[in-house]
Amino acid sequence: MKNAQRPTPNATPAGPMPITVEDVSFTYPSGTHALRGVSLRIAPGEAMAIVGENGAGKTTLVKHLNGLLKPSQGRVLVGDWDTREHSVAKTAARVGYVFQNPDDQIVERTVGDEVGFGPKQLGRTEAERAADVAAALALVELSDYAKTHPYDLTTAQRKLVTLASVLAMRTPILIFDEPTMGQDARGLALIGGIVERLKGEGRTVLTITHDIDFCAAHFGRVVVMADGQVLADGAAADVLARAELLATTNVEPPQLVRLAQALRLPRAALTVDGFVETLQGSRGAGGQG
Amino acid sequence: MTVNYGLYVPKQSGIHSLHPLTKLAYLGFCLAVSWVIPGTWTPYLVFLLGIVPLSALGQVLPNILSGAFKAVLPFAISLFVVQGFFWPEGTVLQQIGPFSLKEEGLFFAIRGAGRILMAVSTFLLLSYTTRPDELTLALGQLGVPNSIAYVILSTLQIIPRFQTKATTILDAQRSRGLETEGSLRVRARALLPLVLPLLLSSIVDIEERAIALEVRAFGRQGPKTSLLVLHDTPWQRLLRWLLLLAALGVIVWRIYAALAPRFLS
Amino acid sequence: MIHLRDVTYFYPRATVPALAGLSLDVPAGQFCAVIGANGAGKSTLCYTLAGFVPHFYRGKLTGQVEVAGVDVPAASLAAIAGQVGLVFANPFNQITGARFTVREEIAFGLENLGVPLDEMRARIDDILSFAKLTELAERSPFALSGGQQQRLAIASVLVMRPPLVVLDEPTSQLDPIGSKEVFAVLRDLAATDEATVVLAEQKLEWVAVFADRVIVLHEGRIVADGPPGDVLASGDLTQYGLQPTRYTQAARAALAAGLRRDSAELPVTLEEAVEYFK
Repeated sequence: MKNAQRPTPNATPAGPMPITVEDVSFTYPSGTHALRGVSLRIAPGEAMAIVGENGAGKTTLVKHLNGLLKPSQGRVLVGDWDTREHSVAKTAARVGYVFQNPDDQIVERTVGDEVGFGPKQLGRTEAERAADVAAALALVELSDYAKTHPYDLTTAQRKLVTLASVLAMRTPILIFDEPTMGQDARGLALIGGIVERLKGEGRTVLTITHDIDFCAAHFGRVVVMADGQVLADGAAADVLARAELLATTNVEPPQLVRLAQALRLPRAALTVDGFVETLQGSRGAGGQG
Repeated sequence: MTVNYGLYVPKQSGIHSLHPLTKLAYLGFCLAVSWVIPGTWTPYLVFLLGIVPLSALGQVLPNILSGAFKAVLPFAISLFVVQGFFWPEGTVLQQIGPFSLKEEGLFFAIRGAGRILMAVSTFLLLSYTTRPDELTLALGQLGVPNSIAYVILSTLQIIPRFQTKATTILDAQRSRGLETEGSLRVRARALLPLVLPLLLSSIVDIEERAIALEVRAFGRQGPKTSLLVLHDTPWQRLLRWLLLLAALGVIVWRIYAALAPRFLS
Repeated sequence: MIHLRDVTYFYPRATVPALAGLSLDVPAGQFCAVIGANGAGKSTLCYTLAGFVPHFYRGKLTGQVEVAGVDVPAASLAAIAGQVGLVFANPFNQITGARFTVREEIAFGLENLGVPLDEMRARIDDILSFAKLTELAERSPFALSGGQQQRLAIASVLVMRPPLVVLDEPTSQLDPIGSKEVFAVLRDLAATDEATVVLAEQKLEWVAVFADRVIVLHEGRIVADGPPGDVLASGDLTQYGLQPTRYTQAARAALAAGLRRDSAELPVTLEEAVEYFK
């Protein structure tokens, strides 16, 4: 755990960087209407999760945030940049995006070079890059593997490498696509810790996830998508308690919410401690305890 | 996405329902005649009499004509230019500046283009009217190894996936600041980081698929059965033998005709 | 059905064994779940049962591996193929690519085994309805969702009627709907009692629902082995890199807070938790 003491890659000095999605619609060349009039404002430092079933438009939406897709209608602003006016490569200095499948991302022959790829594209000096790489690898606890070939690691470790390779770019905004897929309890805790740390530094963290318990534990704001539209948008505790609404896009509430609802507790908590508190309160009131 | 059979054009026709080997034998016969029997216009005659009517019966004539035209045209043009103008000696038909179009070269080019036309159109006629799995099953019955059939069939289905994957990989690199918009040089440099992940993740995929195939007893020796049943008839079998003999006959006759004068003289 | 004795295995170039003196006996008909952190040896165990360790991955294997009466290290993969069915995480990579419809994809294994046509058709129809794929039978396997593809992979293996079915984290790459679909098939499979099943899985809530027995792997060894209720609610799970379900965590926290005093078995699933907290 010595690694965790080392400094985190600092945010770029670009300053607070809100994201504004203004009435965005997007239609794929195939004719699929993937987004229909989505509007969102994401404040700097927010931790927001996007949930919904496959095909709801989650990935299409986040691909608009770094300019990989340009709106058919409406506009997307990252800070003061309209994504249509800047290349994806330029926007990469502001928005880091970790793809779902690590094997779509890894290009270098060592873990260290892989993590240094982004900083290199951003034009950082070798010394800066070395510091970025060391700090990012420490965060994902893979410092000992800098010289290892990425394909000698497990898939779960490779996913952490891709996470580090975006952390090393020190962007004010980060997007994680299914960060917990294939991770075990230790990996979950590690990624959860990184999200908390980024939040603490005031950076914007966005995720697409099916892991609703992970979402409940670390993301204060939840956006529910269905059929290319925003179905609900609000505080995680409120949104994740709306079982009927979530069911329309095939999302199950977190385990603790389901339990609280099955027990008809007055309030659904997102943490174990919160659950026990609610339980204590209701038992005290009901005189059952 | 519906079932993708490669070039196959699903139609209800007598040609479609022929046994693949019957088609193969017929097309082999046509090809042999067109390549072996001398005459500048022979391939075109075979195309007109042998390929066009069957394509029409199989309801794929427009596909054959446009497909063959697209594939043959570049060859035809280059043959015409190279052979027509650079034929060493011969009858000059037309003088264009320093170049002279020669009759012998022109006829050579016409015949060459005809042969290519036949090669392309027989391939297309077979592909348009025969499901690839039926073809490989028939080839398997001839003794062609299973692994070759597997390569043909899986390539048809898995290659199209590469394009999607390549796009995703390129997107992932652009998201990390790789510039892909701009001059040709910039784009060429951008392609390099794409090659390695495509290759490496394909190796992982191939390894897993190899395991999946073993689980399904692909490596097992001994007789195999097939859910797909090929329709065959005695007269088709007879026809196949006749066509094979005829094709061999044409070839043997041609070799004899070429060699005989030398031995007889 | 499974008889492993002192099995130790090193992947090529590895200095740490992936399996370290592992012994395991599983009787016919049992549904046995294997849990453990990443790197604990779950996949290696699955691949050993199916013969890919050592036949495909090479490396060094010692000890006794006997599965469905086959001496695995001595047998060929082709000989093991009909005896052990293996399903793994990536649904897409389990599609052969050599067949064009779901029905034909399921037939592929039977064709290789030389099963006669009439029997083949009957078995395919049976398994299509078992895996709820009948309506997709004439679709391209590549046109299916992840959950449907994984059900297809399971059906393609089950149709060969292997005495042992091994599943290596079959839902880890699926979304919640796909996972549910796959678990529904596994629950039906557990109910039939026809096959012996070994399932490596991270989702403990589901393991609790249909496993007869749960094994915990840690560093290539079995560190816990017993009925799901005992193993999954045990306090030791965290030390092996596993996270108990939120239901178990909540029950333990309630116990610590003095809300519950009795030592009733801690809950693993929602139903058990509701019962526990009532």
